[in-house]
Formats: sequence, C-alpha cells, structure tokens
Amino acid sequence: MIELDQRLISQLTSIADVMLPETPQMPSVSGTGSFEASLLKVLDSRPDLAKGLKTAIDLLPKETFQLSDLDELLTKDPEAYTALTTIVAASYYQVKEVKVRIGYPGQVPKTYDPYAYVEWVQEGLLDPVVERGQIWKDPREEVK
Amino acid sequence: MAREENIDVLIIGAGASGGVAARHLAEKGFSVVCLEQGEWPDRNDFRGAEDDWELAIRKDWALSPNIRKLDSDYPVNAEKSDIDPLMFNAVGGSMVIYAGTWPRMLPSDFRVKSLDGVAEDWPIDYFELAPYYDQIDLEIGVSGLAGDPAYPAHPDYPLPPLPLGKAGRKVAQAHNDLGWHWWPEPNAILSAPYDGRNPCVQRGVCTSGCGEGAKASTDLTHWPKAIGAGAKLITSARVRKITVNDQGLATGAVWVDPEGREFHQSAKVVILAANAIGTARLLLLSKNSMFPNGLANSSGLVGKRLMMHPFAVVTGWFDESLEGWQGQFGASITSYQFYETNPQHDFVRGAKWALSPVGGPLNHVLPMRAGTEVWGEQHHELMNRTFGKGATWAIFGEDLPEESNYIELDESLSDSSGIPSPKVHYKISQNSKRLMGFQVERAEESLRAAGASDVTTANLLRYSGWHLMGTAKMGDDPAKSVVNRFQRSHDVENLYIVDGSVFVTSSGVNPTATITALALRTADNIVKSRSLQAVPS
Repeated sequence: MIELDQRLISQLTSIADVMLPETPQMPSVSGTGSFEASLLKVLDSRPDLAKGLKTAIDLLPKETFQLSDLDELLTKDPEAYTALTTIVAASYYQVKEVKVRIGYPGQVPKTYDPYAYVEWVQEGLLDPVVERGQIWKDPREEVK
Repeated sequence: MAREENIDVLIIGAGASGGVAARHLAEKGFSVVCLEQGEWPDRNDFRGAEDDWELAIRKDWALSPNIRKLDSDYPVNAEKSDIDPLMFNAVGGSMVIYAGTWPRMLPSDFRVKSLDGVAEDWPIDYFELAPYYDQIDLEIGVSGLAGDPAYPAHPDYPLPPLPLGKAGRKVAQAHNDLGWHWWPEPNAILSAPYDGRNPCVQRGVCTSGCGEGAKASTDLTHWPKAIGAGAKLITSARVRKITVNDQGLATGAVWVDPEGREFHQSAKVVILAANAIGTARLLLLSKNSMFPNGLANSSGLVGKRLMMHPFAVVTGWFDESLEGWQGQFGASITSYQFYETNPQHDFVRGAKWALSPVGGPLNHVLPMRAGTEVWGEQHHELMNRTFGKGATWAIFGEDLPEESNYIELDESLSDSSGIPSPKVHYKISQNSKRLMGFQVERAEESLRAAGASDVTTANLLRYSGWHLMGTAKMGDDPAKSVVNRFQRSHDVENLYIVDGSVFVTSSGVNPTATITALALRTADNIVKSRSLQAVPS
C-alpha cells in the first residue's frame, strides 16, 4: 500500500477543489471539512487505486492545474485518470453533508406493502394491456 | 493422486443449474458430489449496505472476473470479443450477482427457423418446458403477476409483484397512452417472507449480492435442501478434466485444490454445470486419443455458437425525484412491445425491456455514464439535473447463433492452478446492430412519453455478457448438435450438460429461468431413465 503523506493530500485537495468547486448549493471538496477523513476511508476500501492516484498527482501540474489537464491525463495514463476521478468523487459523496445536500440517504432499506399492487390493478392501470389481448405468437398456429 | 469413492452423479459447478440438479437427484436417492471452484458466499462480505458499495462494485464485486481477479476466478481472454463475459464463481454461481429478473422464454423463441427462417428450431417447445417453469417458479420464490398477454397462461407466481415504484408507474402510464405493452416484471426476489427467507428491502444493490437473501440464488434455494438430502458439496475444487474409459464413458473428473493437490472423483454419471464458457473450456481440456477434438465434440460444435445478448441502457431524466437509486434491480416493469419479428423491419427477432434503478452518485458522474466532461461547476449542475431523477430501460436483444463466435483454449493465459483459460472470439452481428438501434429509438420514445426532459443512451455495451449461451447446442442430429433433447451428450452416454451451453438460440430474455427449468427437466429424466443409463463398469 502506498502511503499518502500530507504533501500529496494537500496537492490532491487543490486538484479536487478545481474538479468539484464551491457553488451556492454545494461545498467545494475542501469546504466539506472532512475530505481527508473520507479520502482515507476510500483508500482503505480500494487500496488498488492508490498507485494510480499517486501517479495522477505526480503527472498533473500542482499550482496551475485546470480541468483541461484531465484530458491530457486521460490520454497519457487512463489508469491514473480512473483512479483520480473515482477517488475524488467517492470521497466527496461519502461526506455526510454532501449526501444530505443531494438528498441521498445511501442504499437504505425501505418497507412497503407487498399487496399494494391490488390498488393499482383495481384502479385499472393494467386494463389497456389486458384489453388489447394476446400478443404472443403461437408457433403451433403460425407454422401450419 | 487421491482417489475417492465411486458415486452416482458428479456435478461440476454449484451455480443455478448445478444446484437444481443436485437437489432433485439427491432427493430421489442418488449419491451426489458437486465440485465447485468458488466458495460459499458470506453475506457479511456483501457491500450493499455499506458506504463503499459503489467502490466495491468496481473491483471486488465487479461483474467481470477479469476485473475482480479473485482466487476463485479464472481469467477470460476477451481481446477478440466485442463483449466481455460476466460471471461469478461461488456456490450459487452467477446468481449471486445477477439482477434477478425471471422471465420465461416465449413460445416463438423455440421456433425461429420455422417462424423467421433464421438459425434453428429447438428440439423441444415452450409447452413441453412449461410444467418445469411452473415448478421452478415455486422453488425459487418468484414475485410477479400472472396474466401477461405476452405469454401463454400459466399458474400465478407464489408471491405478489414487487413495487412498481414512481418510475414504473410513470412509464406504465406512458405505455398505456402509447398503446404499448408493459407488465410488472417477474423477479426471483421475494416480495414477502417465503421458505424461511426474508423479503426484499429495495436497496437496489441486487447485482452485487443480496445481503437480505431475498434474491434467489441456489446457495439459498437449493443447496441447503440438496445437502439435507445427502449431496456432498466440495468448494475450492477446480476441475482440470473429465476422465473417460476405453468404452468412451465418463468415469469422473480430475480436480485440484488451492494448494495444488490433485484428486480424482469417480462417478457413474457426470453433469457439467459450469456455464457456457466454463463447460466448453472443460470439454476442450478433456481431449484424449479417443476424443482428439475435445470431449463430446464429434460435431465440432463444442465452444461454437456463443451467444451473449447485445445490450443497451436508455435512461430518461425527469424533473422530479424518482428516488432512482432505490428499488429492485431486478426490474419494476417489462415490455415485450417490440419482441417478435416484424416484416417491416430490416432485422429479425426483437428485444425485451426491463425498467431498472440508476444507482448511486458515482454511477451518475463517472465516465461510463457521464463521459469525461463532468468536472468543474457543470458537475454540480449535472448532479442537480440527474441524481435520483432517472429511470433506465435495460434492453437485451436476441443474439442469433453464429459459428464464428466461439471459445478456444488460450495458448498462454491460465488460471491460478495453471489450467489454460478460455479465449473468446465474438463479434456483434449486423442483425443485432440494426435490432438494437431500433429498440433504443423506441425506448427513447417511451421515456419521453413518460415525461423525461432528457434521454441518454449507451448502446452495445462492452461489459454486458451476463447471458452465456450456446456452446454445446441441443439437438436431435448428432452431426449438428452436442447434446440430445434431454441434454445428454450424443458421444458420451453418461455425460450431461445442464447450463446455458445447450441453448439452440438465445431468445431475447434473461436465461436463468430457462436454464433452471431445463436442469430440472434433465434431472427428472435421469431419474426416470436410471435403469437404462449406461455407466462405466
């Protein structure tokens, strides 16, 4: 596993702030206040991406990074591009505040009434389909 | 090499068809051993309820063995294929990661030569298989609603249909307005408690393992019963070849464990249930002086006629939230409006549509769906416009068989046991391209009629080879098929194949209901004909 030191994390945060900047509705990456903690969780889940992430940080300009540099990275090293974009997006969308802002509770369980279908059947939602009748081809008749 | 007791039936592969065959043969008193190269799925390892779910499905829970690279996987050389085959090696097999939609094939699917003048007819028809579909629906625990006019009448499913969800209702109404077919999708996912299993909780993570155990896979539905009836299941057991005697009968199989130790399991009957790539690979690996082109291959068709279903996703983006990350995946509704051949079209056959959730945030912003222009301020605009507001038609088109689509053994690539890997040669046909182009246009029409303000399309996706079929075709003529109508090898009288290899044509529907119904029918026939079965002395 490749260790990300503070210098690399700081460089990554600068890049990520350009990729996901602040808007009136959404915080930037650094504006979330917990990007680093989230990043470490993501790398713990996907250690296989660490090498590509480090390569991406090494290849991208540090002070003058702009979005067009991502196109160049994609051409030069697709694996590094995938690692960078996956890690930045995953780290951002695991931050609780970000999930709240986009209205995403996670893949949570949901209860439902399995017999609620009776209601829409009785409402007649399927009636037009049934009224049009059989649409399957019966080969026993078709090939006579 | 250790040698084990001689048993009645050896099954290779503990997935969909292997599980069904094992249960039914064991329950009828056969001594059964199954060799499975994977392990029992541990539901504690499933990531669907965890924050890192969307990361996990891109690596350890990826659908492709070439991405997962688990010890239980074997690499598949797909450099010469337009589609990457997807599979999972474990007890339960690829059912652990399938969507769980459970359609039957249609009557016309068995008669495409007679009806449309293409490919070949099956030696059996829908009506012969129907009682087995009925039985397997009960064993699996299917949720659905009978009465679909796209099918002949059949008994009601054991459980009520899963929720339509906001998207399903919206699109269903649109199809009513268009005069198009739709129906609640039958799913092998429980809508209510059944057979000791819990119902679906709508997490929408079906294709990375169902933590609730609501989605059927044979590790839940069949193996506990098979083992209870005396079947023995050996995991981490990778089969290297099927052995035969001087009379040309199968005598068992050589397998290796993860430490490289080699064993031989003897059996009176051998059943292959290793999917259409794994089974063809094993038959080719089992060549010998009596079978120089591979076992059961006097027709030359082993490995040939691979079908994988061309696939497209068409997503409608609506102005309001549909909670598009939630719901069975699986599908809520299905449509067979454009399934049958229409002489007005420039292609034959058609496709089945299934309406599915769209996934979590990463699925919206990473390049597969969103392209590369999604960073900067437009990223947040994209998320605001799309997240939770999508509904996807997943479209499988019928894939007609061609001998130029085939599997061979790779000359250099091998699995962790040193066994040669399969190499896949597969090109999407012109008929498939025209068929899918038409279907995509109609699906866009469907979603716009439902009120979508934008529609995006990804057609002929590479990572879409869920449905592996056709590499050991069923037929009555030994010169033109590998197995007979009861899935017994024409060449080796005590060798059966029960996975999707035997499909004559692919239909346009998800194949697992048909694979399991056929496996049940074959097991039933083995029981009925046991006194006539040729076995090695």
